[in-house]
Amino acid sequence: MYGWIWRHLPGNTWVKALISLVLVLAVVFVLFQYVFPWAEPLLPFNDVTVDQGMAAVR
Amino acid sequence: MTVRSRTTVRWLVRTLSEICVTAGALIVLFVVYLLLWTGVRADSAMDGEIGRLQHQWSAGPAAAPGRTPAPGEHPAPAARPRRYAPGASFAVMYIPRLGPDWAKPVLEGTGTDVLQRGLGHYDTTAHLGEVGNFSVAGHRRTYGDPFKDFPELRPGDAVVLTDGTTWFTYRIDNRPYTTLPGDIGVIDPVPRKSGFNGPGRYLTLTTCEPEWGHSHRLIAWAHLDATQPVAQGRPSALTG
Repeated sequence: MYGWIWRHLPGNTWVKALISLVLVLAVVFVLFQYVFPWAEPLLPFNDVTVDQGMAAVR
Repeated sequence: MTVRSRTTVRWLVRTLSEICVTAGALIVLFVVYLLLWTGVRADSAMDGEIGRLQHQWSAGPAAAPGRTPAPGEHPAPAARPRRYAPGASFAVMYIPRLGPDWAKPVLEGTGTDVLQRGLGHYDTTAHLGEVGNFSVAGHRRTYGDPFKDFPELRPGDAVVLTDGTTWFTYRIDNRPYTTLPGDIGVIDPVPRKSGFNGPGRYLTLTTCEPEWGHSHRLIAWAHLDATQPVAQGRPSALTG
């Protein structure tokens, strides 16, 4: 997968490295901005109230 | 072994290792997000809320949200709004036991998004300083770890709140009490099992237990000990 991406990037090694870096940063940004905030409430650290069962009923 | 099957095996091994490396990197990134990034975001959000409140309060009590009286209208004797605006901050809480600089905004509601920006007031419970049980939930871990040291709370510890006009000093009455998530009696007007046996001005703090889990809740109860107008300066519990 990574080899395939590397081979399909244009330019010489330096340009490829630069594009790869940008791609990695873009992926990290998407993860932090969208994916992790979505996944985080599925974990137990948010359950700090005593009426969460009730809140769903209300 | 033919050349073709050797290439297939190589491709398989390579793909498998790439997936493993990707999954590992994802997990590490997610841990970084939980431990660091949620804290960074929450700290800046909480500082923002406190700054906004202080700005609003310094503009004068007439600027209370939604209570700007029209000219000619007599301001009601109870100048406090009947309801706090959902999702908005209305008070700042100080607990010296959790640190000399520990100050967090209290927002209305206990939704996930609210608790990411500060402590959440259970919207069905009493208002600050009123008869009943002013109940507040907060994160133990992640989102700035506001209640990380919750188990350190001891009877007599001060929980100080201000709504811009009055300082309210509550005193903790029990060591943190562990209960189950469904035990909503702990935020009753006279909380069950708290030892309080009549109506009063109470405060309840709730967070999760264990630190990183959600199987139980940790509860602390307090009663209103003293109030003083903001004009008289900070209460002795904060200065002493």
